[in-house]
Amino acid sequence: MSLFRRSPKVSPEDIERNHQMLESLPLVEAPDAVWKSIERSLDQQRPASMATWKWALAAVVIVVSSASIYWVASQQKPTVGWNVARVSGAPMVNDRLIHTEGRVSAGQWIETDASSSAKVKVGEIGSVEVAPNTRIQVVTTKQTEHRLALARGEIHAVISAPPKLFFVDTAAGTAVDLGCAYSLKASEDGSGVLSVTVGWVSFQTHGVESLVPAGASCRIRKPGGPGVPYFPAVPYFDDASPALKEAVDEFGLTKTSNLDVILKEARKRDTLTLWHLLSRVDADDRAKVADRMIDLTPLPSFLSRDLVLKGDSNTLSRWKDELMWTW
Amino acid sequence: MARVYRIRHSEGMNKVLQRLQVAQEQISSAGKKPRGQSVSCAVTETCESAPNPVDRPVEREDIVGIVEACRTGDREAFRALYDIHKDKVYSIALYFFHGDTTVASDVTQQVFLKLMTSIQHFRGDSEFSTWLHRMVVNACVDSSRRKKSAPAVFDPAKLEMFANKASQEDDLARAQMTNSVRAAISALPPQFRIAILLKHFEDFSYEQMAEALHCSLGTVGSRLSRGHKLLAERLKEFAGGRR
Repeated sequence: MSLFRRSPKVSPEDIERNHQMLESLPLVEAPDAVWKSIERSLDQQRPASMATWKWALAAVVIVVSSASIYWVASQQKPTVGWNVARVSGAPMVNDRLIHTEGRVSAGQWIETDASSSAKVKVGEIGSVEVAPNTRIQVVTTKQTEHRLALARGEIHAVISAPPKLFFVDTAAGTAVDLGCAYSLKASEDGSGVLSVTVGWVSFQTHGVESLVPAGASCRIRKPGGPGVPYFPAVPYFDDASPALKEAVDEFGLTKTSNLDVILKEARKRDTLTLWHLLSRVDADDRAKVADRMIDLTPLPSFLSRDLVLKGDSNTLSRWKDELMWTW
Repeated sequence: MARVYRIRHSEGMNKVLQRLQVAQEQISSAGKKPRGQSVSCAVTETCESAPNPVDRPVEREDIVGIVEACRTGDREAFRALYDIHKDKVYSIALYFFHGDTTVASDVTQQVFLKLMTSIQHFRGDSEFSTWLHRMVVNACVDSSRRKKSAPAVFDPAKLEMFANKASQEDDLARAQMTNSVRAAISALPPQFRIAILLKHFEDFSYEQMAEALHCSLGTVGSRLSRGHKLLAERLKEFAGGRR
C-alpha cells in the first residue's frame, strides 16, 4: 500500500512536467482597491463616540470573556471519559472488571490478560483495540489531545481525524497519528514494532522523527543511555527483501556492514528506508546512501546533491515530498 | 519546483522592518535575547538611523515581530503583514475562482479582515503562513458555498481577460502555455485545485498542507495525486489541441 492507495497512478514524469508547466503560472498582484476596502471596513468598526465605544467595549468584553471561558473549558477540560467495551475475557479498568461496557478516564489504566481484549472509543475520532496481555493508560482526553501510554502489549488504532490529535507514548518514543490505522506493539523494555495499514504515523524519539506510511513497519527500541550508540527507528516496507529488513532492524548495532546490505537490496520504493538513513548516518555513509537513492530515482533538478550531503533539513524535506509519490 | 516570488516592499513594510531591525539591535546590544514582546513595543517607535531594509528578504523572525505588533492593534504592522502575503492569497483565490477578480478581491479582503480580528487566537504552534492559509481555504470554501446558486464554472473569457494582462510581454508560445495551465487548473475539482495551488504558491510540506486543508496526510497525498493526474491529462489535451 502506498500513500495514494486508492488514487489513480500518476507517473513521476507527469508530475515533473506539471511542475514545469505550473512555473508559467504568474503571481498576480492584488489590486490596490482591496486594501482600501479593508481600511474602510476597519475604520467603520471604529465607534462614533467615546460613550458608544465604552458600551460596545463592555459588551465585547462580556461576550468574548464568556466565549473564551466556554471555549477554554470545552478545549482544556477533559471529557468525562471514553467508552470501553469488552471484546473477550475479562478486561479491567483500574482493577475494576468490565463486563460489557464501561468508562475510562484520564489517569486510569486498562489491563488485559492472556485471554481478554477490549475496545476503547477514542472521543469522536476513532477507536483502539487493546489486545491480550496489554497494559495501557489513558493520559489525556481533551478534544485537542487524545493521549495513551502503552506500558506493554499491543494495540490496533483506527483514527479518522486531522493530524496530531492522537498520540501513544511508549518507553521508546511517541507514535503521532497523521490520519491512519496502525498496530503498535511494545514491551516493558521499550522494544517493539509499529506497523501501519492506512495513512501515516510519525514516530518521534528525542526530537527525531520517523515517518511510517501504509504498508510499512519500523522496529522501535529505547535509547540505551549515555555512551551507548542509538539509532532512531528506520521504517521499511513490509514487502522489502528479508535481508533488507533484517539489516535495517540491526542497523546501529553493527552499523557499517549492514548499510552495504541495505543499499544493495533497496528497490525504488525502499527510498523510504534510505531517506531516513540519510539523517542518521555520518557524512561518508551519507554520500553512499544519497548516491544509491539517486541511482534508484533521479534527484529532482531543483535540489542540490551538495545540500543533501550537508544534511540540509529543508532539502531533505523537499526531497521527501517528491519521493513520497513512489512510497 | 523551487519558486521564489519577489515581494515588493511597500513604504509601510520597510518602516516596520526598519523598526524591527532597530529593536532587535537594541535588544541585542542590551544583552537580551530578542523576544516578541520587546519587538512589539519597539515597532511603534520611529527611528531614522536604521539601514534601509529595502529588498531584504522577510525572515521568519520579522513575521513573528510583525504578528506581535498586529496583536497590539498596530495598523502599520497589519499593512506590512498584508503586503507580505496579499499577492499569494489573491493569486490562490483568483485561480481557484476561475479568474474571477471580484470574488478573488472579496476573498482576499475577507481573509485579512478575519486575520485582523482573530490574530489574538494565533498561538504560534503552527507556522503563521499555515494558519493564514487555513483561513484562505475556509474563505474559498465559504465563497464557493455562497456561489452555489450560480456555480462557478470554467469561463474562458474571464481567464483570457486576466491572462492577457499578465502576459503582455511574454512571447506567444509562453502566453499560450500559461493560458493552458490556467484553464487546466480551473477545470480541476475544487478540492484538487486548492491542493495544487497551495503546493505551487506556498510550497507547503505535506504536513503544512494537512493543517491548512484540515485533513490527514494521506488525504493530502491523494488529492495531490488525483489533481496531478487530471492536470496532466488536461495539459496533454491542450497540447494536442494546439498542434
